[in-house]
Amino acid sequence: MKFRAVMIDAGPMREFTNIVTTISKLSKECVLRIASDQLYFIVSDENSGPAPPILWCEIPHSIFFSEYQMVGLDEQHKDIYLGFNSGNLARSLITLKSAKTLKMKLTKKQGPCLTLDIEVPSACSQQTRQVTHDIPIVVIPRKMWSDFQEPRTPQPDVSIELPTLKQLRTTIDRMKTMAAEVVIRASAEGRLTLQIKTDMAKVSTRFKDLRVETYGGPIDHSDSESETQINEDMSKVCHCRVDAKKLSMFLSADSISHNRTVCSIIHKKLVILCLQTEENVKLQCFITGIVY
Amino acid sequence: MDEETSQYYFTASMDSGKTLCSLLKAIQFQESAVFCALPEGLKFTVEEGKCVQASAYVPADNFTEYHVRDDVDVMFKISVAVLAECLNIFGSGEESSLKMYYRCEGSPLLLVLQPQSVYNVMTDCEIFTQTADSVLELRDEDCPEVAKLVLKAPAFLGLLSDLERSCDIIEINLSPEHPHVSIVTYGMQDRSCIEVPKSSDMVQSFSCEEPVTLKYQLHHVRLIMKALAISTKVVLRCSSNGLLLLQLKLEKEDQRQMFSEFYIVPLLDD
Amino acid sequence: MKCYVPGSNVKVLGRTVHALARFGDELYLESLPECMLLRTLNAAESAYAMVKFNKNFFSYFNYNYYSTEDNEGLKCKISMKSALNTFKSPTHMDKQVENLEIKLDPEACKLIFQLKCKHGIVKTHYVSILDCKAMQAVYTKDSVPNRITSSQRLLSEALTNFQSSDDQVTLEASTQSFILRNYTECSADSLKVIRTQINLKPLEFTSYTIGTETTITFTLKEFRALLSFAEALSLPIQLHFETTGRPAVFIVHNGSTFEAHFVLATSKADNATQATATQNTTIDRKRKESSFQDSARKKVHIDNDISKCLDEDSHLFNFIDIPDEIPPPSALFNGDGAINGVNEETNNVNSSKINNDIDSDHIPASPTAKAMIKSVFRRCFESTFDPRAIRGVILAEDSDSE
Repeated sequence: MKFRAVMIDAGPMREFTNIVTTISKLSKECVLRIASDQLYFIVSDENSGPAPPILWCEIPHSIFFSEYQMVGLDEQHKDIYLGFNSGNLARSLITLKSAKTLKMKLTKKQGPCLTLDIEVPSACSQQTRQVTHDIPIVVIPRKMWSDFQEPRTPQPDVSIELPTLKQLRTTIDRMKTMAAEVVIRASAEGRLTLQIKTDMAKVSTRFKDLRVETYGGPIDHSDSESETQINEDMSKVCHCRVDAKKLSMFLSADSISHNRTVCSIIHKKLVILCLQTEENVKLQCFITGIVY
Repeated sequence: MDEETSQYYFTASMDSGKTLCSLLKAIQFQESAVFCALPEGLKFTVEEGKCVQASAYVPADNFTEYHVRDDVDVMFKISVAVLAECLNIFGSGEESSLKMYYRCEGSPLLLVLQPQSVYNVMTDCEIFTQTADSVLELRDEDCPEVAKLVLKAPAFLGLLSDLERSCDIIEINLSPEHPHVSIVTYGMQDRSCIEVPKSSDMVQSFSCEEPVTLKYQLHHVRLIMKALAISTKVVLRCSSNGLLLLQLKLEKEDQRQMFSEFYIVPLLDD
Repeated sequence: MKCYVPGSNVKVLGRTVHALARFGDELYLESLPECMLLRTLNAAESAYAMVKFNKNFFSYFNYNYYSTEDNEGLKCKISMKSALNTFKSPTHMDKQVENLEIKLDPEACKLIFQLKCKHGIVKTHYVSILDCKAMQAVYTKDSVPNRITSSQRLLSEALTNFQSSDDQVTLEASTQSFILRNYTECSADSLKVIRTQINLKPLEFTSYTIGTETTITFTLKEFRALLSFAEALSLPIQLHFETTGRPAVFIVHNGSTFEAHFVLATSKADNATQATATQNTTIDRKRKESSFQDSARKKVHIDNDISKCLDEDSHLFNFIDIPDEIPPPSALFNGDGAINGVNEETNNVNSSKINNDIDSDHIPASPTAKAMIKSVFRRCFESTFDPRAIRGVILAEDSDSE
């Protein structure tokens, strides 16, 4: 197995750092899948056993790297799967702030490592200096690769384009100090509501005039008592209760410069947040609904 | 306010709830506060044991609309932490308009907030209320004021920040003789003393007939620091029974004022 | 002692206290005719700091004001916490403090720090004196083969690449390169830790002399503390070091009013990834032996309690405890650094033993004899030993090639 990639532009370096930092906030452990056309960052839920990923990020290498070479496990299995501590990678990338070049490669030092060779200009002189980080990794055996495939989800009930993540994050951060769970409610009429309910208060932040991507058809509410707004067509409304902290962690992705984020909800079951950038980076986060 | 709400016990509107939010955070050292809507303005009171009582007072002219029914007492207990978080729901970088509604006794307090820079979002909050316990009256009419000191708030904050936090007791000595004001703290093995003559720049006025020495728990006096940070002026008044009253004035950009007040009970000599 | 520190220098004193606070919990003050010294030692006795303020740092300096003896300066120990309380925010002090008076209140056994601030405000701190002793360490500063002068910015920048969880750094210096690497004790965790390495070029330094290629390892905590000290005062740092096991000395000074020495114990980094426990022990022992050599020349005191100290590790410093009654330094040592004699006034019961040991002073001490070892360690009653006096003199022969 071989891997070698070089990054020389400040823009990609910044984006790459922001992506890895966001991932490190969501989870300590992360899997990097190196394929011939893309890099994938995959995070699974730490607390449960083998489970489908909760974060799936695709990075097409051509925009980020000026050089990219990889040789997979073998002829039939052309990818490389590596497990590592996301915090380690995030902290090493802090050096990228002022770097000239980044070279990433697979090496074997005291164990298998992802080595980052970073060339940094010195503020004190004309010299550049070399900073090397060896990040210990674990090579994931082929038989476990099936655990790290892209989650396949059913057609969502409503997909709606979110307002700016920064705005959402401010509000969710205030809400999470008051309640552990948030209910996200979306309607095919372009309305999104974030709501918390505790012994002490009920707080609802309501967005309107949002762009609706898809509407999967009338939603069945016969089995529950849903709160209705006046003049609202409940067949177009779906909602899902999620952990406020998890939602807040994903929203720290506001640091990644992005075009748009789409929120897809499968009524009561799943919330999928999908962020897309100009460079075709796709970051998807899957938050399972909490059901009592 | 419209027809529907005219019978409400209390309704008010404000262009921006930001200063009110800061003021509430400054007295947020307990879970709940007593909310009192008086004809002159809003008052929030927080108590720690029987030793400290803090209030935030927002005169009615800070509101664009302010209405209290004069045939009822609008007074209830509410979570000050939740109230402050709701006022801040769109973040401190955003100016949000605020509307408050309290329908009748036992109703929740309803807040409606809308950020000025974003048109398509609003937040409504229902904060549940409880019956208020009576507010302690610490002032004793029979005890006259023996000393009064008016200081610039930022300078006083600097002084308090400099005191060693691990000390339990703060001793305040006021005297007509130099050095007029001295603040002493006792540590494990050390003693620190700050002397402020009345001629100092930070003293705006000073009156004291007889020397007086008062002791308070440093932790109690430090409770005023958040309020000091947003205020311009602080008035210290000592009564003959040792009760310390600190009155802080906050001035907004539009020249309107808000106030906070702290009563601190002295430590008795053993 | 009584002295006045002008407003512009109060910040320097404040920064000094903050830096020393990151080394040790106790602050030793000593006033001498020409200067005032502040010293501290860390709990593990692997890091020592000494800052000397010359007479010209002060607007008024009287080293033995209030002293009972004519030539006696102040020697005392105060808690670092007390010192920090006096210099709470050095940055603000610059703008607010006009003058600082430090004086001894002998009756109350307190050291008084009085800050005269703007607007007529006076802050006075009455600090209890914990002990009336001075403390000093012995180390080689000048006759070292490796000497580097660096801007603090260069090193501070290099350190930003390390994790805050890294606690030791290995420095590998040769004529061609200067490499910094994070260092972890070998354990199961070491395989999970990021290894970071920075290569700096000799050209990046203001001056660079490597006589002997060396690899030394020392703790980052104190290194970071001395770097921020240099950074706060915008001063360069001089590194003086020799071989593995010898302390490395970092010097920060402004050329006129003060000079700071930060001395860090060093150890040998295990290059092998899986060093076994036994290897580590050997290293420790070797360190102890070389330091025994150093101290053998200087020891003069036997304290029965010292045997307890032997169980602790990494004593790289000869730690001298100076009682009040010792006369001034000049009388006490001859040219080659050996100790001449001891003050008869010492009412220390061990004085007779002290005389005996002076003869054995000249024997190249082999560290095996337990009695000898006992005499060496930390608390050696000795006259005020001034390291400057031994400039150019090797304190100890190399015990063995390491």
